[in-house]
Amino acid sequence: MTKIFYMIRKEFLQIFRTREMVAILFIMPVIQMVVLGFAVTNEVKHITLIIADRDNSRLSREIVAAFSNTDRFDITGRETDVREIGLDIHRWKAQAALIIPNHFGRDFRRGLRPDIQMIVDGLDGNAAGVSVGYAGGILREWAEAQARQTPRLAMVKQNTPQLELIERLWYNLDLRSAQYMVPGIIVVLLTIISMLLSALSLVKEREVGTLEQLMVTPLSRFELLMGKLAPFLILAFIEFFVVLGAAQVIFPITMKGSYALLSLEAFLYLFTTIGLGVMISTIAKSQQQALFLSWFFMLFLLMMSGLFIPIANMPQFLQDLTLLNPMRYFMAIIRDVFQKGSGWQYLFTDTWRMTLLGTLIFAVSVLRFRKRVS
Amino acid sequence: MNEIAVQTQNLTRRFGKFTAVDRLTITVSRGEIFGFLGANGAGKTTAIRMLCGLLLPSEGEATVAGFDVYKSSEAIKKNIGYMSQRFSLYDDLTISENIDFFGGVYGLSPALIEERKEALIEQVGLGDFRKRLTRDLPLGFKQRLALGSAMLHDPPIIFLDEPTSGVDPRARREFWSIINELAAAGKTVFVTTHFMDEAEYCHRVSIMRAGKLIALDSPGKLKESYGRNNMQDVFVALVNDEDPRPEEQL
Repeated sequence: MTKIFYMIRKEFLQIFRTREMVAILFIMPVIQMVVLGFAVTNEVKHITLIIADRDNSRLSREIVAAFSNTDRFDITGRETDVREIGLDIHRWKAQAALIIPNHFGRDFRRGLRPDIQMIVDGLDGNAAGVSVGYAGGILREWAEAQARQTPRLAMVKQNTPQLELIERLWYNLDLRSAQYMVPGIIVVLLTIISMLLSALSLVKEREVGTLEQLMVTPLSRFELLMGKLAPFLILAFIEFFVVLGAAQVIFPITMKGSYALLSLEAFLYLFTTIGLGVMISTIAKSQQQALFLSWFFMLFLLMMSGLFIPIANMPQFLQDLTLLNPMRYFMAIIRDVFQKGSGWQYLFTDTWRMTLLGTLIFAVSVLRFRKRVS
Repeated sequence: MNEIAVQTQNLTRRFGKFTAVDRLTITVSRGEIFGFLGANGAGKTTAIRMLCGLLLPSEGEATVAGFDVYKSSEAIKKNIGYMSQRFSLYDDLTISENIDFFGGVYGLSPALIEERKEALIEQVGLGDFRKRLTRDLPLGFKQRLALGSAMLHDPPIIFLDEPTSGVDPRARREFWSIINELAAAGKTVFVTTHFMDEAEYCHRVSIMRAGKLIALDSPGKLKESYGRNNMQDVFVALVNDEDPRPEEQL
């Protein structure tokens, strides 16, 4: 066992010999997290909106005011010509247009239930759907307020539905995107560092020729790999807490679960990513190849982890395929622990699947890594 | 210890259709400096890698320090020192750190590491440079240091794969004086080279061509039987297929 100690000490000496390495390990991830944490958001805000108020009555102006008083919409222009509106949307000047017809105010007071038209750029279907939802909400609120102020508008009263949906959001009451996305980004950073560094450090020794020298020493394969990988496990673990801590200082997010549980899960997850690193090192012949292979794997891990795209939205075949993606499990686990404060009993299924997968990846990689040259 | 250090019988290694080492049969005794000569690609490195347990043979038998290369490669590793043509120390560690590391992975106690480190630094003459990064050393020093590091565990057999390539003549001479001292101390030195002046220092040399052993004897006898004045000419005659003798004599 003392041989492993010498391996680990040597690895740490090499890692911290270059100052760039410290930056790569601890400063780069924090920068990435800060930038991406703000950038990666699925909140739809500041939708650019053109107003076509053809009525220009007191009521129509009230509606326009309601739209300008929210940060959901930014009114970027006023235009009554439908053709011009079409061109503006085509030129990316606006994402949506709200058209209030002639005599809207008069018809509304008479209870004729006039229409208001909304034209939305459907290119980004998600944002389009969300903006229609917002607009509907603003108009409904306005209509209800009108009904309360002027009870004689009995017709409007009838318009309110018999069945009312009362919404109650759980876990992330303010629908803050960061609360959901930042833990996901932490997973991505952790994966890159642990997988890439372990792969590169093994391939580098092979490239330089020192791996051959290690192979003629009495170090067993286990000692050699443990000595090489333990430092990266430890460093990735420290990095995890650095980024986790920084995230909570910078973003308005709250960690509701147990740190001990999250650490244990992170530890289990790192086995799979470091295992992948070893696997890459057994395939790649140079550091360059290792880098490309890592990115090949990384894109699949990332896009099929549920970070951006919910796994439930994917075709069934690909949903089944994500069961082989270790990042999928840790992504779900960290979000559960972070948001819901889930205890281990809720994470059981994800945990055993991730552990099984990790054990398999690690075992296959270690078996592929031979103490012989090819 | 066994008087036979290395023994092979029809040792063969193929890579696909290519036969890198073809039925190599040699016996090397304890205390011998055994030279392995051949043009680049003749199979020297492949042979040495099989003997060090880095590469499995395709066919044939071999024992190193009495251990079988198929079954006991880990036991072999405790009994050999190996230095490859590629520089094998860590460039980004200091001289002292490199020695600590190799001593440690060979399982030496800290006290023994310290003792042998001092002896090695003394021997190579690097007293003032122990805290320097290894990459800043001249190649000749690096090679001697690499040799010393590969021998911290005091193995009875040492494999050197082109240890002096790229080193200036004076450093080569110093390197060879170390090899001579080792052999005098009873160590077996198995060395590959393509410098023919170095071949003269060997007790016996074997010459390989296209994976086959084509000559094996002391430098003196080889020069005599080929009627040449130096090993250079013997080698050129042999690899150019000017061998006048029938094959059975080899």
